[in-house]
Amino acid sequence: MVTLLLLAAGLVASPLASARVMQAHVQRVVGAAVTLEDVLVRLDWPADGAAGELTVSAAAVNTPDLGYRYRDLHWRCPLRHTPDAHWTCDGVLVSGRSAPLRLAVDIGAATTHASLSTGNARFALDRNDASPDATQLDLTRVPLVWAQALLSQAWAAGRLTAGTLDGHLAVHAPTARPLQVTGTLAVNGAAFETPDATLAGEQLGGRFGIDYRKARALTTVTLDGALQGGEFLAGNAYVALPPSAIDLRIQAQQRGGAGWQLPVIAWHDGQVLVADGSAAFDAQTNLQGLDLDLHSGDVAPLAGRYLSGWLALAGLSDLQLGGAIDAKVRVAGGQLHSASLALHDVDLIDAKGRFRFEGLEGAPSFSATKPVSSQLRWTGGQLYGLDFGAASVPIVSSDGELRLRDAVTLPALGGSLRFDGMTLRPPAGDDGADIRFGLSLDALDIGQLAKSLGWPAFQGQLSGRIPNARYSGERLVFDGGLTMQLFGGSVQASSLSMERPFGVAPSLTADLALDGIDLQSLTGVFDFGSITGRLSGRIDALRLVDWSATAFDAELHTVKTDGVKQRISQRAVQNISSVGDASFTSTLQSQLIGLFNDFGYSRIGISCRLSNEVCAMGGLEDADTSGSETGGFTIVQGSGVPHLTVVGFNRLVDWPTLVERLAAASKGDVKPVVE
Amino acid sequence: MKRWMGMPMTAVLALTACVTINVYFPAAEAKEAAKQFVEKVIGDEAQPPAQPEPEQPKPDGGMAALMQFDPLMLVGISPAYAQGAPDITIKTPAIQAIQSRMESRFDASLRAGFDSGALGFTQDGLVVVRDASKVQLKDRVAVNQAVADDNRDRKAVYREVAVANGHPEWESQIRGVFAKQWIASARSGWWYQNASGGWKQK
Repeated sequence: MVTLLLLAAGLVASPLASARVMQAHVQRVVGAAVTLEDVLVRLDWPADGAAGELTVSAAAVNTPDLGYRYRDLHWRCPLRHTPDAHWTCDGVLVSGRSAPLRLAVDIGAATTHASLSTGNARFALDRNDASPDATQLDLTRVPLVWAQALLSQAWAAGRLTAGTLDGHLAVHAPTARPLQVTGTLAVNGAAFETPDATLAGEQLGGRFGIDYRKARALTTVTLDGALQGGEFLAGNAYVALPPSAIDLRIQAQQRGGAGWQLPVIAWHDGQVLVADGSAAFDAQTNLQGLDLDLHSGDVAPLAGRYLSGWLALAGLSDLQLGGAIDAKVRVAGGQLHSASLALHDVDLIDAKGRFRFEGLEGAPSFSATKPVSSQLRWTGGQLYGLDFGAASVPIVSSDGELRLRDAVTLPALGGSLRFDGMTLRPPAGDDGADIRFGLSLDALDIGQLAKSLGWPAFQGQLSGRIPNARYSGERLVFDGGLTMQLFGGSVQASSLSMERPFGVAPSLTADLALDGIDLQSLTGVFDFGSITGRLSGRIDALRLVDWSATAFDAELHTVKTDGVKQRISQRAVQNISSVGDASFTSTLQSQLIGLFNDFGYSRIGISCRLSNEVCAMGGLEDADTSGSETGGFTIVQGSGVPHLTVVGFNRLVDWPTLVERLAAASKGDVKPVVE
Repeated sequence: MKRWMGMPMTAVLALTACVTINVYFPAAEAKEAAKQFVEKVIGDEAQPPAQPEPEQPKPDGGMAALMQFDPLMLVGISPAYAQGAPDITIKTPAIQAIQSRMESRFDASLRAGFDSGALGFTQDGLVVVRDASKVQLKDRVAVNQAVADDNRDRKAVYREVAVANGHPEWESQIRGVFAKQWIASARSGWWYQNASGGWKQK
């Protein structure tokens, strides 16, 4: 563009003096950086006129070094000779079907000035014969899309879509020596994208010193300045730049047809992220090598500024971070070679309350090849509302796996958890994470557990040994079992497994066996009325989804135990009746039930098989049910006088209503229907 | 029980032809269940507003009956109805919670993506961003997140439907049925992946 103007102007400048109409046709004009094809110059100067009309057209204009190509260029302007011996011409330039531009040229004895403008955008050029190889360029609100051809030279897929440039550039184009462009450019509201939309940026601003040199064998670019606001996206990474300036320095070079090398990358975002390193791309702009040192003195803004794209995909958006980190990433041959992360008092808090880690410290290292030892510590944390204490985790990594070097004891719920033999294989390709470990629970306080989970005030202890647990494909399966010492008896949990433990609708399945539970303590906790005796039974195939029961096959019954009285209070009878939709059959009239505070019983038994929100209820097995002829089942079999029997009739019970009733019963606001 | 019903037939067929009959999968019921689920999520405003069918309490399988208000519930517990014929239940609280979440997510962000052609239904019952350039940069992260969240919900639904019906091993078949249904219920102009993996516009 630049040189074209000079040549065109040069042609008209000379043979003016006598002719009223001059016309010249040149097949091809070749300059240092520009080639013009099929050039037609025509000057029409009225004999008495102060100005002539100049028309210049060219079928094609190419600047191979800069990548610009124009077709059907046409410029028409009034040519004047000013009193200070300058030639000026200012008119409309049209190229093909593009919007017309205004081109003004001013040629003096030793200087050349040209400016191209549209609206308030202006691109001006100055030359001085004293330095014939140098051209000064001034940019005022120049649309960034004008630089598209220049960008395409370095990055074929990049498309500039918006933004303006202001600044000053000096172009040095000596013959047979490298083209050099230096200067300062300010970018405003820049936007770019690739056709496949994997890279894109919007509203980017900044101010950069530029040094661009292009020779036949080597092209180098140095950018040094500051980015000011905007956002960009690369694959799943999304960066929302802060309003504060980010110092950015990039050196890039390209040899022959090879890919770009970036020997210097420096990104300094205050305390939030300081990254220094180098990178290399292949000829198709795929990342081949990367060596990056990262430091963050304050990780709190990292999640919002740099990590939101990845966190959103992982379902961890709004993850709260605190502390400081150092990290190193090395990519070689297009593959992750090694990565390390040093944590300094880092807090990780899940906004959905699933987990939190406090005071993370250490440098867990991952190695795809030879063994590397490292350590991770924390001061405390929480998992689904359950607090756990400080721990130090010795890690060894090799062949793409992380392993525990020694067993780790984690204080939790007044007791401890002990993990041993843990191996962790991070997700790779289509395979999700695979974790295996052994787990021992020692004397966890069920009181604390119940409080954390919002259960009634259970008291007891939880212990157990799970020799093998395995997490893969979003399923966590435990071998072995757990024992809870609860209400003077025990609950054994076996066949434990979880699905999507941290995902959508986490589910837990287990078989529970209850043995010798003290009913007085149990009913006391639920404020259900008082029952004395011992309870045993089983809850098989229990399945909790989102921590509420969706299926089980339960059978619970009392067991006669020496020295334990079997009494049931009037209120408990009423609650059982209301919950079980049962009715009384009594040797006394039902209405008289209110005269007695409690009753003796010989057996209590109830079963419920829950599926599809329906509980299929049953009572004592082999009981001679007085209501059996009407399909009833005995829940409480009386003993002594008054002899009370509670019989249920409704075998299929809507589970949500039953749960509601149970909750209401424990609050004491249920009135049974007494027949 | 059902598992073994096909056995004698298998034995007979094994003598005559190399055909294996596996566990009976209630394909028609699954399709009906998937249709209900998908139409609820996508919404059916594009179709003529059909009169909502009065829900008849069926004697054999009417979980629907439980949805009705019964004054008897005030004093006691209403009777429930047993499941009779093989059925695919999608009315567990977990599945319903996911369904309503997917429904609001679909209205809030995914529908616009399908309308613009940015999103498409895959052959395996998921959603992908098939043309990110159709989404503005500022919305890109939100759309990616909505797609990732939706796919997590979808996988959970396919799994839960199988498990809630007592057949975890049906998961992939359930998923296949749902995959077909998402495409069948897709509006005209939306994109989907055909069996060979190519993208087609409905």
